[in-house]
Amino acid sequence: MPYLDERPTVAKGRRPYFFDDPSVDKLLSILMSVAGEVSVLRERVDTHERLAEQDKLPTTNNIETFEISDELRQQRAAERAAYLKRVLRVISDELERMKKSASPTPYPEATDLE
Amino acid sequence: MTRKNHAMFPDATHDENAQQDFVRSLMSHLYEEVMPGNRLLYDNQVVPKYLKEKGRPPNGRSEVRRALETEPYNQVWASLMRTSQEMMYTAVRPSIERQMPQLQQTAKKIGSALGSVKVDPDFEMPSYHTKVDIHCKPGAYHAQLDADDFLAGAEFDRTIMLYFQGVTGPLCDDIGQSLGQWVQEHYPDLNPKRILDMGCTIGHNTLPYARLFPDAQIHGIDVAAPCLQYAHHRAEALETAVHFSQQNAEHTEFEDGSFDLIVSHAMLHETSHKAGPRIIKECHRLLRPGGVVLHMDSFGMTDPYYKYLNEWNALYNNEPYMGKVVDEDFRSMFDAAGFAKEAYFEHQIPSVLMPKRDSNKSGKTLGIGYYHTIGAEKQP
Repeated sequence: MPYLDERPTVAKGRRPYFFDDPSVDKLLSILMSVAGEVSVLRERVDTHERLAEQDKLPTTNNIETFEISDELRQQRAAERAAYLKRVLRVISDELERMKKSASPTPYPEATDLE
Repeated sequence: MTRKNHAMFPDATHDENAQQDFVRSLMSHLYEEVMPGNRLLYDNQVVPKYLKEKGRPPNGRSEVRRALETEPYNQVWASLMRTSQEMMYTAVRPSIERQMPQLQQTAKKIGSALGSVKVDPDFEMPSYHTKVDIHCKPGAYHAQLDADDFLAGAEFDRTIMLYFQGVTGPLCDDIGQSLGQWVQEHYPDLNPKRILDMGCTIGHNTLPYARLFPDAQIHGIDVAAPCLQYAHHRAEALETAVHFSQQNAEHTEFEDGSFDLIVSHAMLHETSHKAGPRIIKECHRLLRPGGVVLHMDSFGMTDPYYKYLNEWNALYNNEPYMGKVVDEDFRSMFDAAGFAKEAYFEHQIPSVLMPKRDSNKSGKTLGIGYYHTIGAEKQP
């Protein structure tokens, strides 16, 4: 194989889109990237606070050498899972409705309501 | 956050770790919280619709896919799946690029005391690795800027860890451990002196064989040079002797009958319909009489829904053969390669590390925590 001048940044092959309008796929992808950035910021703020608790300044060096214990690792994983549940709530709601649709309760007609 | 398990394992800054952890959590969320909806759609809508309209359930992976793809719920799942895969490389690659000079220095320091690596500058890459970049990995597993560029391999060490989320062990070697242990238990007299791992990438599943069979000489082959180079440095860092070489499993340079045991771990589905039979034939040539071959892969399922998941990856995660591989008649392939008819077997080999869940009681689906493996013993 010949050596390349530049490292490819995009995977070779057709990029599939799943919605009728590919813009929806793109927007969803952008939203997930933003959600990822928020998650990173959140953990960085958390590190700042934990350093403060140890009377340390949040310098780059202190942040980079901050020891993440197993307990904190698990705590952050649980927080990320809860965060994703909030961000993707509309999908979970649909799944819940699908689970219940075996015995669907009809949406009440407005005229039936008192 | 991923712990450093050996000297060659790439590090990550605070924020790089956080970003990679987010992708890991997103992948988990999609698998656990979103994917089950596809099964509900399949059971409650697709199958009943087929029964009503055609008097039968969908009979193949493509029928399931076409039916599910029109469902908005499936569309959002699929779109997020593809995005999470792309995000994995976005989160990992810049970190590895930054560390490459350091990693190259570490590799030099570690040296090559135990094993070896041989790459072939004139190697002809099979088309099934050049048509698309497998797993959407930009540049795939083989792109190199120069002879010392093993980024593709170093990156894989972190992405595979991220992908498996630790369930396959701190060195991502559960498949190798499980198949190796199974061989020990089922072929106590095999006493392998030479073992070959085909499609070994960075050797994560190759190394357990060295521990399980300390008297054996271990060889690993792959088509991707940067993965082999990184595999070599990684093996040396883990103080394990393995001989890696860049070779195509369809036609290797090894002599007839030169191995007692040949294994592969999720390699076949990254080859092709034409390459598959040639690889099986090559295994027959390479085995000594009484030798054993095992190929573990994502196949063996009968439920069209599970076949669909394979097809999804084939089409949308750049693994062209992953759909077709579930339809292959491997028994005939082994037969045509020269193995005795009764020698062929299929087993669900229990994972050493993963919790087991026997969801295959109905005979329709595979158990969780088992590795579907095909193989044969060559006539003594």
